[in-house]
Amino acid sequence: MSLIQCRGLTKDFGGTRVLTDIDLTVEPGEVVVIVGPSGSGKSTLLRCISVLEPLTSGTLEVDGQRLGAPGVSKRDMRRETGMVFQQFNLFPHMTARENVTIGPRKARGVSRREARRIADRLLERVGLTDRADHLPGELSGGQQQRVAIARALAVNPKVMLFDEPTSALDPELRGEVLQVMQGLAKEGMTMLIVTHEMRFAAEAATRLIFMDEGRIVHDGPPGRLLPEPPSERFRQFLGDVGGKDPSGTGEKPPPGR
Amino acid sequence: MEFRWEVVWNAMPQMVAGAQLTAQITLLGIGGGMLIGILCGLILAFRIPIVRWLVFGYVSLIRGTPIVVQAMFIYFALPMALDIALSGFAAASLCLALNAGAYITEIVRGSVLSIDPGLTDAGLALGLSYPQILLTIVGPLALRRSVPPLGNQFIISLKDSALFLVIGVAELAQRGEQLTAQTGRALEIWTAVAVFYLIMTFSLAMIMRLIERRMPIL
Ligand SMILES: Nc1ncnc2c1ncn2[C@@H]1O[C@H](COP(=O)(O)OP(=O)(O)OP(=O)(O)O)[C@@H](O)[C@H]1O
Ligand SMILES: [Mg+2]
Repeated sequence: MSLIQCRGLTKDFGGTRVLTDIDLTVEPGEVVVIVGPSGSGKSTLLRCISVLEPLTSGTLEVDGQRLGAPGVSKRDMRRETGMVFQQFNLFPHMTARENVTIGPRKARGVSRREARRIADRLLERVGLTDRADHLPGELSGGQQQRVAIARALAVNPKVMLFDEPTSALDPELRGEVLQVMQGLAKEGMTMLIVTHEMRFAAEAATRLIFMDEGRIVHDGPPGRLLPEPPSERFRQFLGDVGGKDPSGTGEKPPPGR
Repeated sequence: MEFRWEVVWNAMPQMVAGAQLTAQITLLGIGGGMLIGILCGLILAFRIPIVRWLVFGYVSLIRGTPIVVQAMFIYFALPMALDIALSGFAAASLCLALNAGAYITEIVRGSVLSIDPGLTDAGLALGLSYPQILLTIVGPLALRRSVPPLGNQFIISLKDSALFLVIGVAELAQRGEQLTAQTGRALEIWTAVAVFYLIMTFSLAMIMRLIERRMPIL
C-alpha cells in the first residue's frame, strides 16, 4: 500500500494558485528528492502533505488515512509524517533531549522513562549523545538540525519530510546532516526531500521530481533525469544550481535568476 | 527651612500603615490584572471570534480614559447604577485590576504573537494539540518575553495606586495628604512618602530583574 497518495491536489493562497493538480504517490522505502526553482511550491507541497496547510481541493492519503475522512483527525495524520524544517525550529527553552522526548510524551502518551530511552537512542544515532543536555542555542547549526531529525523520528513516523534541511547551514556543516539522512535512506526510511544538493539527489534518491510553477514537470529516477534533462527548463535549472558540476556545492541560486 | 526629623519619626506608624495598604491594593491589582490580561491577551492572539470584539472594546475603553475617571466611575457611579455598596479598598483594587488588565492584555498579545510560528508548526508536525503547544512551547516562551514589559506595568500600577486618594482610600499618598494637613510640614512628609514609594518600586524592579535573570529570553 502506498504511504502517500495525492490526487488532484491544488492549493491557493488568497487568489493565487501555488499548487496545481498535483498527483503524487510514494511507496514505502522510496527516497524522493524534489527540486525546482524558488517559488515553485516545493515547501507548500510538503506542508500540505504534513497537514500543516489545508488543501484547496484534491485528496491526500497518508498511510491509508484520508484527510477529512470520518474518524481521521489531522493530529492522527500529522503523527505519521515527520517534518524537518529549513530553520530547524527547535524549541529553544528545551534541551536537545527534551526536544526529542516531547513528541513521544505528549503526542504518543509514552511514559517518561520510555521517552527518555527513545531520545537517548535517537541522539546517539545522530551522534549527539554528549550534547543531550544542551539548549539549542548552545549547538551549531548542523547539530541543531540533527537534533531536529531525531525529534521528528521520535514519534515513529512512516514518512520523513525534509524542507531544504541544509540550506541554512554553512557548507562545512552540511555533510553531517546529509550523512544522517543518507543513513536513514539506507535503513529503508521513506523520505520526501526538498533540496538543492544535487549530489545527494544523485547518490541517495530513488526518484527525482522537478517542480515548476506549482506543477510536477518531471518525475523519474535521477540516473535517467540528471544525465539527460528532458526539458530545456530543467536543464537550465540544473545549470543554475550547479548540478552539472561534479564538485557542485549545492548552493542555491540567488533569487530572481 | 530646616528638615525636622521628628516629624518623620512621629508620622512613621501612619506611613507604614499607608504603605501596607498601597502594597495590598497593588498586589490585588496586578494579580487580578494578570488573570484578566492573560485571558484577554490569549483571546486576542488567537483571534477567538466574537469575544475578541468584547476584549477589544474593554482595552479601548481603559486605554482611552484617565485612571482617575475610572476610579471615580467605579467608586461613585457603579454602586449607584447597580445599587450595591463598594468599599474604597474594593473599588481601588478592582479599578487597578481592570486598568492593569487592559495593558497586560496588550503585553500578552504581543508576546504570544512574537513567538516564531515555525515552533507551532514543529509542534503540530509532531502531533501535539494546540493546547499542548500553548502550554509547553508558546506559553513558556511568551512568558519570558513578557517579563520586562510586565515589570514596567507593575511599577506603573504601584504608582497609579496613589491616585486612589481621590476616593478616600487611606493608602500612602492619602496618608501623606492627611499628615501634611495635621502637621503643616509638607517638606518632611512628602519627602518621606517619596522615599516609601521609591523603596517599594525599587524592590519590585529588583524582583523582576531576578525573574528575568532566571528566565532569560530565548
Ligand atoms: N502563507 C502564504 N501566504 C501566501 N503566499 C504564500 C504562502 N506561502 C507560500 N506562498 C507563495 O506560494 C508560492 C510557493 O511558495 P513555496 O514556499 O512553496 O515555494 P518553494 O518552492 O518552497 O520556494 P523556495 O525554494 O524559495 O523555498 C510562492 O509564490 C510564495 O510566495
Ligand atoms: Mg521552500
